[in-house]
Amino acid sequence: MSACTLAFTLQNDFAQFAPRLGTLSLQRLDGTSTPEIQTPGFITASSRGVVPHLSRDHVKMTNAIRLTNIPFESFLERTPPVPTLQPGLKPLHAFLGFPTWQHILSLSLRDPFDGREMPANNKLYVSANCIRGVRKVTPADWRNYAIACKPDLVVALSDVPYTNQLHSQKRTTKGIERSTGWLADFLRPVAASLTGEEEEAKPHHLNVLVNLVGGTDARARTLFSQGLIETLHGREQEQVQPIHTLDEGVSGYIFDFLPLRLSLDTKSMTEPKQAIETDMFAELARASLAPLPQNKVRIAYSTTSPHEILRFVQDVGVDLFDSHWAQRAANIGIALDFRFPAIPDDMPIWNDEHCPCPQLRSNGKWDLGHNLFSEKYAHQHTRLASSFLNGTSPETQTEDSHVCPCGACSPSSLSIYLTHSSADARYLETEVPQRPYTRSYLHHLLHTHEMSSHTLLVMHNLSVMDAFFAGIRQVLKSSPASFLRELDRFAQTYDESTELFDEAEKLWAKIESERGKGRLAREKQSSGQVTTE
Amino acid sequence: MQFEIVAKCPTTKARVSRLKLSHGTTALPTFMPVATQAAIKGLTSQQVEALGINLILNNTYHLNLRPGMKIVKEAGGAHKFQGWNHNLLTDSGGFQLVSLSKFTKITEEGALFSSPFDGELTMLTPEECMSIQHTIGADIIMQLDDVVSSLTTGPRVGEAMWRTIRWLDRCIETHEKSGKTETQNLFAIVQGGLDPDLRDQCLDEMIKRKDRVAGYAIGGLSGGEEKDIFWRVIKQCTDKLPEDRPRYSMGIGFAEDLLVCVALGVDMADCVFPTRTARFGVALTFNGPLNLKSSKYATDFGPIEKGCPCPTCSDGQSRAMLNHIVTLETAAAHAITQHNLVFQARVMGGVRNAIIAGTFPQYLKTFFAQYFGNEGYPECTRTGCKMG
Repeated sequence: MSACTLAFTLQNDFAQFAPRLGTLSLQRLDGTSTPEIQTPGFITASSRGVVPHLSRDHVKMTNAIRLTNIPFESFLERTPPVPTLQPGLKPLHAFLGFPTWQHILSLSLRDPFDGREMPANNKLYVSANCIRGVRKVTPADWRNYAIACKPDLVVALSDVPYTNQLHSQKRTTKGIERSTGWLADFLRPVAASLTGEEEEAKPHHLNVLVNLVGGTDARARTLFSQGLIETLHGREQEQVQPIHTLDEGVSGYIFDFLPLRLSLDTKSMTEPKQAIETDMFAELARASLAPLPQNKVRIAYSTTSPHEILRFVQDVGVDLFDSHWAQRAANIGIALDFRFPAIPDDMPIWNDEHCPCPQLRSNGKWDLGHNLFSEKYAHQHTRLASSFLNGTSPETQTEDSHVCPCGACSPSSLSIYLTHSSADARYLETEVPQRPYTRSYLHHLLHTHEMSSHTLLVMHNLSVMDAFFAGIRQVLKSSPASFLRELDRFAQTYDESTELFDEAEKLWAKIESERGKGRLAREKQSSGQVTTE
Repeated sequence: MQFEIVAKCPTTKARVSRLKLSHGTTALPTFMPVATQAAIKGLTSQQVEALGINLILNNTYHLNLRPGMKIVKEAGGAHKFQGWNHNLLTDSGGFQLVSLSKFTKITEEGALFSSPFDGELTMLTPEECMSIQHTIGADIIMQLDDVVSSLTTGPRVGEAMWRTIRWLDRCIETHEKSGKTETQNLFAIVQGGLDPDLRDQCLDEMIKRKDRVAGYAIGGLSGGEEKDIFWRVIKQCTDKLPEDRPRYSMGIGFAEDLLVCVALGVDMADCVFPTRTARFGVALTFNGPLNLKSSKYATDFGPIEKGCPCPTCSDGQSRAMLNHIVTLETAAAHAITQHNLVFQARVMGGVRNAIIAGTFPQYLKTFFAQYFGNEGYPECTRTGCKMG
């Protein structure tokens, strides 16, 4: 058994493909512990090691950020990659400024949300992207980087082609073979020479996540998973001893939907495309999970709506999702405004003329949020979301009315701040809640291309996602039998189509073209394939 | 407004004072960061106040165009709109009219300019300028001045100076009639270009209006004139301006310039420099500026500046990490902006402490030696300090 320090405990009785409640925690070898992550929950997306648009003080105050994925590839611009040079016991955490007692970091080589076409991998290396261009990363490199950075979770290298076409059977088989081989290689104990000690090789204490590959071929996916639980013999087993199957060395499973989505020929699909795609992916996920033990954490990357998240909770039993969709919404000026369970139409906060709810679409469903670029928000001097109260709302919080704790809706003036001379006054004795940032102000910031617009929207949208998952967990805890009914009600209430995002993107592109380019132009480039058909 | 001098430097003309306005007390001398469009770029109001800053500047010209006064009025004023609870100063928009508008024609009535968005012609009069600033609700408001570049010569300079005085009178009239004199304080702007005689005449006239004016700004500089000339004009103004009114040097932001201005008796200054240079990756430190884009910082795991209390340095964010994200992630702009604003505040805080302790000349020497290091500090700075 590898010295796995990840603990994932499932709390309810569950079927193999059904909603589950879980708790993820880590006991680190240095004795520090991490907060417990309740599942279903989410992983925050990062770019170049930061949560986009958030300075560290804002990351600290956004409690929604607990588990973050760090793509390593941006650091390949230098040799050796700089985080591997950071001194200390937890280099990745220290370099990026995520306190170990508050944050769990997962390390992947590639950015899961970058769907750009890449040069092909081969059996010797994976192609990765950094600002200086494509870099070839061998399995040995990857192991060394992971061992040097000491993330809490690390994703083993896998071979997934990023090309816009259906893959041949041969390509898929190759991908499976390589991925299996690379996982085996990754699970080898650290060579004695690396630890500099005389004793025999030690397990490397990394918690390994594996991508369940196999493309859109259900049988291939099942085959890959069977390979994970196959008992190893002879030399193969010697290499990874003391474990006997690859799965023993694995802490969790990842479903990466972006490459699947890219490889699908959606033109030939009938409507409703989104629902069909979701069902297809759920089936593929089940094919992957069928042979595998149920008590390991299941992670899904690149879901494209809260509706899809609910379906994967219901139909597959996925534990962790990403918040990239919500963060992308912030980049294009959308303030999310939805809850789970869905807010009943007749609730007073949904019908407040001073805080109008999102737009009703022609299909009778509400938008999932507000496109704050729209002119109608220029005069709405009210908090961002109708679904949530803000920190200074006079209405008392009841079971039905929740406060959004984010830095936009519930800002507060700190009790301690800097003074610079003996002549300076100190203003506050205690933390004082402030009025929320308004839709009209955000509208103004977006139109004047001010960066703080994205800062406020990211904090808000992550908090809405946090509340969404808290709502899922609450239903699963108190009345699991009603989950499916609530899922259906959510789907009836909120619009799953991309109309809101499309409109916002158009307005955002217009504003951006009137100014200079920067990170956001590149970001748009890399994620463009996710949100456009 | 209450303006109280609490300490004076025995050697220079520097003084420490407290300025009590409707949204709190600000200790002077101070540097005012610029929140051009109702935001310090990249930061929230809570982040700015956490840095120990309690006086910032909004641009009237920009806010008048976007979001426009209807929205500002609906929101209850600029403080509420941007969530800023402390002191706010608005400039008149005179400078932007000349620098940003494609067409501006100055007449006695006001400034006729075309909107950068729809080309529509608008007349900005001193009266209208007051009205806009009343709607914004800033604690300190500036008169509309007839701005000419400091490099302009000839009769235009004198014409602009006299018109500025006449416009001051119109601003005073409008402001006094508004009933807002208790909550909003009008500053005059001394003009006259680089001509000592014109400056002198302007000073005399404006000082005659002392009882109807809360403070004095020194305008018409920072246009590219030589530093030695700049100091001379500042000194001429501060020599004559009344002691019991705050003195505001517009568009000054380099630490060395701030210190000389303070030595010459200036109390406040504003500039986009520290925030703008932050976004370009340059961090200001007591040992000089650091260009964090440079590869020499790629493996430097120390903070921007040891001992700096800003959120970036106190969290231990390394130069190496900043080097990795600078100009590529907005988070880098935010981090360096927070640092640079704290740098400016620390420079001025150190100034206040030194003046109170009677060690201001020593503070100047130490600061310059450390900031310019081996290069030695610029001659003009030395001259400027001597003048003070």
